[in-house]
Amino acid sequence: MSHAQPRLAVRVSPWLRAWGFWIRWSTRRAALAALVPFVPVVALWAAVAAAGVFPAAFFPGPVEVVRRFGALMVNGILPAYLEDSVVRLAVGTALGMAIGIPLGLWIGLSDRAHRALWPVLLFFQAIGDIAWLPILLIWFGFGLATMTFVIVYTVLFPVVLNTVLGVRSIRPELPRAALSLGASRWRLLPEVIVPGALPNIVTGLRNGLGYGWRALIAAEMIVGTSGIGFLMFDARRAGSVVEILLGMIVLGVLWYVVDSWILAPIERATGERWGLVTR
Amino acid sequence: MTKSLTLRGLQKTYFDPFAGAEVTALRDISLSVAAGDFVAVVGPSGCGKTTMLNLIAGFLPATGGEIRVDDRAVAGPGPDRGVVFQSFALFPWRTVLDNVAFGPKMRGVPKARRHEIAREYLALAGLAHAAERYPNELSGGMQQRVGVVRALANEPDVLLMDEPFASVDAQTRMTLQEELTRIWEQRRPTVLFITHDVAEAVFLANRVVVLSRGTVLDDIASDLPRPRSWSVLIEHPDFKTLTARVLQQVRAA
Repeated sequence: MSHAQPRLAVRVSPWLRAWGFWIRWSTRRAALAALVPFVPVVALWAAVAAAGVFPAAFFPGPVEVVRRFGALMVNGILPAYLEDSVVRLAVGTALGMAIGIPLGLWIGLSDRAHRALWPVLLFFQAIGDIAWLPILLIWFGFGLATMTFVIVYTVLFPVVLNTVLGVRSIRPELPRAALSLGASRWRLLPEVIVPGALPNIVTGLRNGLGYGWRALIAAEMIVGTSGIGFLMFDARRAGSVVEILLGMIVLGVLWYVVDSWILAPIERATGERWGLVTR
Repeated sequence: MTKSLTLRGLQKTYFDPFAGAEVTALRDISLSVAAGDFVAVVGPSGCGKTTMLNLIAGFLPATGGEIRVDDRAVAGPGPDRGVVFQSFALFPWRTVLDNVAFGPKMRGVPKARRHEIAREYLALAGLAHAAERYPNELSGGMQQRVGVVRALANEPDVLLMDEPFASVDAQTRMTLQEELTRIWEQRRPTVLFITHDVAEAVFLANRVVVLSRGTVLDDIASDLPRPRSWSVLIEHPDFKTLTARVLQQVRAA
């Protein structure tokens, strides 16, 4: 047993050194490190495509998708569609939050509002975004109004429900402490209630954006004349699997960017810093 | 700034929906704390001492009697009665400095001036180095020092303390008690201190009030020499006699 130990240590050390290098490198270049897990996925995809198990028209490889990406970037279709989708999502989310946060604060603070509105909220939450489309198409037709309604509707519920939860989870001593230090009842709102509920509001925003993004793509497929969802559905009509795959990849990448560049920094600066959220 | 606190026939009953009956938390409390005095209230759990503090602080409405700060009847919470909570109740999203500066901020003191005030009070409790940290980065003992300093920095007429040292460890508790005595001896605020710890009450206060079943059972003067410290008092015969006497009352209560 004992004589094997030094040899074992010698054999392991290059791996350990490589692992240490990986840890240092991946913390320094976090954006690049996030790509590494995709290497085997893409490799497997390329291998299956190259093996010719499926006809190339049904199962194109990564090279064709990248080539198509280049072409759509050059002729300007992809940037234009991407902009359309992102602007719709941003406008819808902003509207949803502008309605949802005040509504959530009100329902969270007032027992009467809670009793009156909570059942209604749960009822409408159950009617999913897409379930509204048939009636919206009759009311507003195929256009921006329908799409905006669907996104605002989808973003609204997670924001309202999480804001209510956030307000109700504020420990009662905090508003009491503020009142004893001379805060007026109105002052409690900006000084205690909003910051106290903020970690939950951010969670609501995260869920809202996620659901809203999915609802947007679905809405674009059905009512759209532009956007990533439209690109994918239009490609189906043309039988272009390459463009459908490209659309799917764009969706995934875009969400990763929103999450790691916008949502995660907000969460780090609020709940985690204050010790309200344990990682 | 330092004023007296008077309770006259204070009463609190509430309806318990599960028992289906009126419950009396406070039967009849009459008590006065002179300006600049330190009074401790002790009693077994359920005797109504926390309810009493919640009424004085204005967090709950009284069902009878009156509360006066000097000659002014009070109702509802206000900056004239500073509160130190058992659970510290610091604002987690504010730095230590901004927690302490919160009271002055509500009074409309400009930023530079209120930070100056806050730093002054933090230095009083040896907390100057922690000014820029967030509460969750501090130990329980440090957080409660901030809690005490935050209440003091707002210069209340009366300081109400609700078992403030009950949730810190025994060693830290003794240090905090000594620090509180030192600060009180320097600044002489009016203090009403709620606790279930008899030795703590005798150590800190000039008077120990024993509460039982919602009324005042006894009122015992604690005239031990000041400045007080544990190393001196722990051996002091009067401290032992007093503690024994109060303990007897509390256990009989």
